[in-house]
Amino acid sequence: MQFSYEVNDSYAEVKSVGRLNMVAAPKLREVVAEVVAGGSSRVVVNLAETDFMDSSGLGALIGCLKAARQAGGDLRIAGVQPQVKMVLELTNMDRVLTAYPTAEAAFGDD
Amino acid sequence: MTEVIARRGFHGPSNEEAIEAIHNELDALWDDASFVPDMDRMTFATAVIEAAANIVQHALPVAEKPVEIDVDISVRPTRLVARVSAFNAREPFANDMQAAMPDSDAESGRGLALIEALVTTVTFERQDGTNTWILTRNT
Repeated sequence: MQFSYEVNDSYAEVKSVGRLNMVAAPKLREVVAEVVAGGSSRVVVNLAETDFMDSSGLGALIGCLKAARQAGGDLRIAGVQPQVKMVLELTNMDRVLTAYPTAEAAFGDD
Repeated sequence: MTEVIARRGFHGPSNEEAIEAIHNELDALWDDASFVPDMDRMTFATAVIEAAANIVQHALPVAEKPVEIDVDISVRPTRLVARVSAFNAREPFANDMQAAMPDSDAESGRGLALIEALVTTVTFERQDGTNTWILTRNT
């Protein structure tokens, strides 16, 4: 699992590659905390290369969403793959973590 | 006895490396049993990893010996079966066995509810300091 990020004019994109499980979840929290602390509170987590997420990974996304909102921004997800979509739907979190087709589209409407 | 078409397993210390190793065994199992549909692979693998992660995160040793995790996953003609065990472990706390989905702002506590949603049956057994989750999914 690895994370990288890029800060654009209107949002920061965090790329998540690999399995977003209990091993990777704390790393995602650290990366998003760093991005938000750096002044980017509009965050897109790009999950196009994340083929697996468990409830720990989901918990980390929720924690990151709260951190972004507390800083006056928001966190959105993009490029959701079938297994991640399934976990979001079964936990009813698809209504809280809105999925966009691409990172560009996530903040494209505002 | 039901015929076992493919089988994979793992036994080792209950830690983060075990989670990755078990996931690799699951991937190898699907290579061995390529006829298992994608939906069944996805749901079953998620349930097995949730059960293993529950052990790594919550299982406490009963005495001096550290907790060990053991996973036995088999593909049978009409179902998938996994036995996910914690050796040398205390009985789980009641709140670690909570199966209701928590509020949407909760950052943990969804694992067991998710397991129940993913598989056909979930059975828990405790015997001689070993906690075992038996997960089955009809295919």
